[in-house]
Formats: sequence, C-alpha cells, structure tokens
Amino acid sequence: MADARLRRVNKEIADCKNDKSSHINIELIDNSPFHLKGSFKGPEDTPYAGGHFDVDIVIPESYPFQPVKMKFLTKIYHPNVSSASGAICLDILKDAWSPVLTLKSTLISLQSLLCSPEPNDPQDAEVAKHYLTSKASFEETARYWTMVYAGGPGKTGSAAGQKQDEVAMAGLEKAHVDQFESLGFERGKVIDALRRLNYRGANVAKINDDRVVEELLK
Amino acid sequence: MSSDYENSDNEYFEDDDEIMDEDDGSASDMEVDGFDNGYKTIGNKRLKSYEVDYEPLSQKQIEDTMKNEIDYISGLCGVDADVASLLLRYFDWNREKLVDKYMDNADGVKTNAGVSPPEKPEPSTASSSQIESHTGPRRSTRRANSSEAQKQSKTKAIIERISPPVEEPYMCPICCDYNPTDTRSLACEHKFCSSCWSEYIKNKVRNEAEQWITCMAEDCNIAAPNQFVQDVLAEDPAVWNRFKELLVRHYVASNKNLKYCPYPSCTYTVSCPSASSKSSLTTIVPIVTCGASPTHKFCFGCNIDDDHRPVVCAAAKLWLQKCQDDSETANWIKTNTKECSKCQSTIEKNGGCNHMTCKKCKYEFCWVCMGPWSEHGTAWYSCNRYDEKASIEARDAQSRSRASLERYLHYYNRWANHEQSAKLSVELYAKTEKKMEEMQMTSVLTWIEVQFMKKALDEVSKCRMTLKWTYAMAYYLESGNEKELFEDNQRDLERAVEELSELIESPLDTDTITDLRQKVTDKTVYVQKRNEIVLEDTAQGFQDGRWKWNCSVDGFD
Repeated sequence: MADARLRRVNKEIADCKNDKSSHINIELIDNSPFHLKGSFKGPEDTPYAGGHFDVDIVIPESYPFQPVKMKFLTKIYHPNVSSASGAICLDILKDAWSPVLTLKSTLISLQSLLCSPEPNDPQDAEVAKHYLTSKASFEETARYWTMVYAGGPGKTGSAAGQKQDEVAMAGLEKAHVDQFESLGFERGKVIDALRRLNYRGANVAKINDDRVVEELLK
Repeated sequence: MSSDYENSDNEYFEDDDEIMDEDDGSASDMEVDGFDNGYKTIGNKRLKSYEVDYEPLSQKQIEDTMKNEIDYISGLCGVDADVASLLLRYFDWNREKLVDKYMDNADGVKTNAGVSPPEKPEPSTASSSQIESHTGPRRSTRRANSSEAQKQSKTKAIIERISPPVEEPYMCPICCDYNPTDTRSLACEHKFCSSCWSEYIKNKVRNEAEQWITCMAEDCNIAAPNQFVQDVLAEDPAVWNRFKELLVRHYVASNKNLKYCPYPSCTYTVSCPSASSKSSLTTIVPIVTCGASPTHKFCFGCNIDDDHRPVVCAAAKLWLQKCQDDSETANWIKTNTKECSKCQSTIEKNGGCNHMTCKKCKYEFCWVCMGPWSEHGTAWYSCNRYDEKASIEARDAQSRSRASLERYLHYYNRWANHEQSAKLSVELYAKTEKKMEEMQMTSVLTWIEVQFMKKALDEVSKCRMTLKWTYAMAYYLESGNEKELFEDNQRDLERAVEELSELIESPLDTDTITDLRQKVTDKTVYVQKRNEIVLEDTAQGFQDGRWKWNCSVDGFD
C-alpha cells in the first residue's frame, strides 16, 4: 500500500498545482512528500482577509485511511485554533475524516473555518470567550493578529517592522491596562491577568477591581 | 430467572414457524425484556451469601445468541440476516425499540441505519427481492435469504466489472489507480477499488476497533454488511476474526446483564443478571470468574481489577479515590504542616521566624506553641510560653483536626500493608516451593503430603485480600456496635492469618516436621473459617441493610 499512498499524495500535489482557481498552494518541506506546507489566503469579509496563512501538513503512515495532521504555522486569533501552538479543532481532522477527502479539500475546509468560527466547540477557550463576550473586540484583535503575523493590511499601511502592541495583541483596552499598571503592577502581568479574566466588552462592568487585583496577586 | 420463562424462550426459537404464522405481535409480547435471553445460571450449586450467581460464556455462545436475535428480526421484518444485524447494531441491540420504529417507518429506519440510501429508486433486483421477502412466506429461513442476497451481490459485482463507465477510464479516488483490477461498492454505489476497501476496513478494525463501517465517500452513511466485510477481508482471516470479536463486544456492551472479561486478549463474557442494576450493587459484591481461566477474576459491578470483597463497589471506589488523592499528600501534610489554630487552614512553614500570620484569617500565632502571638509580648524569636492556657487550647484544636488525618492514615497504612504483602507473595511462593522440596528430602513426607504448605499459602494470600478491603470498609463504617462486631471479626482473621504466616515462614526442623504439618493444617482450616465468617457476615449485612456509612456512599441513601 505504500506506493498507493505515495501515488495519491503526488497526484494531490499535482492537482493542486494545476488548479489555479482555488488559490490553495502546497509545497514540500525537506523534500519528503509526506511533510508539506499548505497555504491559503484569508477569506474576504473576515478579520483574516488579506492574510496569508501557512499550515504544517504531515501525512500519516496509513493515509488516506487516517486523517492528515494539520496545524497552523502562522499565528492566528481564532476560537478553534490554539493561539499558542496552532493546533486545530475541526471534525474532519478527527472522527469525521473520510478517505475521499484530499489535502486541497481539507485546506478549503480550514479556510471556511476562518469564515465561520465555532466558539462553542473551542480549541482556545480564552479566544472563544473573547468571541462570545464581544464579537467586535474579537474581530479587531483577529485583524490585528492577521496584520502582524499573516502580513495582512494594517490601518497605518505597511505592517512590516511595526512594533507589536501587546495590548492590542491581547484584545484589551489600553485604558484598562494603564489603570492597573498605575497601581504598581508590571504591564505584562496586567495584560496576562486581564486576558485570563476576559476583561472585555460587557464583562468589564461585571468584574470589579478587587477581583482583578486578586488575580494579579496570585 | 424463572424456569418457565426459559422454556418459553427456547420454545419460541424452536417453533419459530408456528408462532410466526399465527401472529407477529405475539412474539414481541412474550419477550418483554429484549435482553433476557434465558442465560442459565449455576442454579444447582449452593451459593454462599458472598457469592453471586453468574455464568461464563464463550465467544461462540454469545455469537449463537446474537444469531438468534438476528434470525428473529430477520423473520419479523422480512430482511436478510446482514440487514437485521445492521439494524440491531444501529439500535444497540434494543430489539423492542427497533421493532417499534421499524413497524412505524421501515424505510426511514433503513435510511437512518445506513442500510439503504435515501429516496433513490432502488436497483430493480434489490427492491424486488425485498418485496418478495415481505409478501412471500415469512418462514423463509435465513439461509435461503442470505444465499439469495449473495447471488444478488455477486451478479451485481459481475455487472459492474463487465460494464465500466465508457467515457473515461475509472480511477479509484482513494489510491488514484486507473483501472484497478477489482472494485466494490455498497448499496450507495460509491465505487472504490478492492484493495482500498481492504486497507480501509483493516484500519477501522485494527486501529479504531470499530464494528460500524460506513462507506468511504464523504457524508455517506451507508454501512457495510457483514458479508461485504467478510468478502473484503477474505485474505485477512485475523482481521475478520477481530471484526467478529468487535461485534460480540458491541453486543455485550449493549447488554447490561453481560460484561466482557477485562483480561488482555481474553474473549470470554460473563452473564450476571443479578448484578445488572445499580441498586443491586448496594447489597452484593459481584466477583466473577470468566470461563477461560480461574485467574481471570474481576468485579462485574465496577472497574476495580481486584477481588474487593467484602466491601461494595461504591465504597471501594470511594476508598481508592481517596487513597489516590490523599495517601502521599496526607503523609507530607502530617510531617510538614500545622493548622492555623483559628481557622484551621493548613500552613507550611518554609522559613522565617516563628511569628506566623495566617494568610486567610490574619490570625497571628507562634509556630512553636501554637498560642496567640499577642501573649508573647516582646519575646520575639523565642517561645517561652509553652504551658500557657491559650496555647494548650490552640494545640487541642489542632490535634482534633489532626485526628481525622491520623484516622485515615491508620486505615490506609494497614490497607497498604496487606497490599504490599500480597505483592510479595510471588517471592513467598518460590520460597515455599523450595521448602517443600527440602521437606521431601529430609523427612518421610511424600510430595502429596507436603502440599499442605502451598494450600496454607493460598489461603493466606486470599485472606490478605479480604483483610485489605476490610480496612477500606471499616474506614467508612459509622461507629457503633455493628462496626465493633465487624472489627472483632477483622481482628480475629488478621491474628489468625499472621499466625499462619509465621508458621509457614518458620525454619524447618526435621524432628518436628509432622508436628508443624499438623499445626499448619489446623491453622489453615481455622483461617479459612474466619475468612468465611468475615465475608459471609459482611455480605449478609449488606443484604439486611445493616451497615451504616459515616459519609454518603453512592447508591445508599
């Protein structure tokens, strides 16, 4: 069966090269057809628009009878993708896998996952909470991450070389961070604590300052 | 299980035709509980109060029962055996639910269960045969039915092979092979090459332990019938056997009267209807042995891989949980911490002076005497007020809270001690073996006459197991007369076991060997009796509801 696996993967790579319409790109990492890098553009009308996302692809031994292993190489702010490791929570990469699915169709599914996040089945609980609390604030952060990490368009034009703003990165308000920093806490710690508490949108009113200080003292 | 019930059950399967001809409905009336398959239990053997009634069953026996179920559904619904098997598996072998839904909407059930594709005109051969089996003589046996189906599928396969799509060469979408030698498809007609099917099924069976194999196409829920799986796996009998085992496992898992033997690669099942309900587990400890080997002993009621008699599953589980959480931690807490004398928070002192301020209640006290710091005045860094009344009180409060920890450790240490001894028993067996050989050489005793040693050792290990769990039991028993009686029995057994242990391990003396033999034999009998008493009395107590717990135990009110 080993040659069938190779034949299939080679065909999939070739198909992807020939297909210009889907804008899905697959290339080899370290010359093995079983370790690939897929990439696609962030879908329009989403906070990911304009970004260029790389995905690490590992073809398992028993492919296509076992799902491919995929994770984001590009950092992305999305409820179903780990903001730290890039691990993806998507049913077709697990039990809903079918041998007829291909690398291309899977990457397209990933692309559409960016259009329709499922915060109720999250990979990254903090991001999902952010999404559910304030979608506008979440989108702003996601857009910012797209700009910083995925080369997306920034408000100020060129994103390259721009100093990363930790506060925007965490999807927080500068005023809130400044408020607690002025109490004498380290800025990094304040950002961490506020992120953990999901200090955003309507939640700000629900969390009193004592709770924040308690978290900061932990 | 009443005997007339069994009879009716057997009668039913034997005189299948008769009943079917009379009335379909009567069959389901008789079988109110779909899972009572009339397993006979060891009824004639007299059971002790701590033993349960159960029956070990081989894979073959379960397969036969499954076949009966399948035949029943096959006849009732007028489908072939493979379809009946799929339907039953889809409904987790709940026959009543299946019949209910099927009579309501046969096509809908078939679509949901992945037997036939939704709202697509059936290929003429298949549909005609179905109509035939509906209208034809209901009695048509399984054999005839399945051979018919086989013929049918064969002709279908042949048609496929001789007439490939003309326009473009067929390529298997899985392995990208053009014109594969052989292709197969399920009822949905999604065609794939046979070697891909084989790899796919092998992967499902081997790696995912899955008995429900659906079509490889995306979002296609059509399930592979057994015949299809068998055909595909024709060259892999090992995988096919594994698949059959998975079918049995699924059946067993769906039936609460049955449990699969947890020992690795064992294929036996145990039927124990008396322990099938959760409430029954408050009165019995269903330790069973599967038919494969007497060492395959396990509890039917829970996952503890130990003979945890006499204590019931819920309490045993509670105890193990506690041990896992607490034992090491508790030891550490005992040696390294003290409790705040005011709010009882546990405090570890890891440096600094003896002036402690409780983080929680802000109480200030002295670490040495546990008395309030205010009374220490200016005597910082040294405590000279050990005997003051306040500090005595504080130490009293502390010792009270320590007492519960001490109590737990008392039981835990004894429990662990017996467990440790049980672990060492392998060594002890080897040692005893040697001793027995020595005896045969130095004395007039024959091989058969020295077996008393092994017998004694067997008894000791068995009793250590009982003793071990009596400590878990005693920990949760409410103090009172009942508990005292329990502990008296426990003490008698423990003393006897230790004495016997000592006798077994005592050095051999040629002159007194007959004397020793007498002593050991007597003691073994005594120990055996004490063990019986503990087990029987405890089991009887559960049946009478005599035991009261000092905390809430799952299942007891």
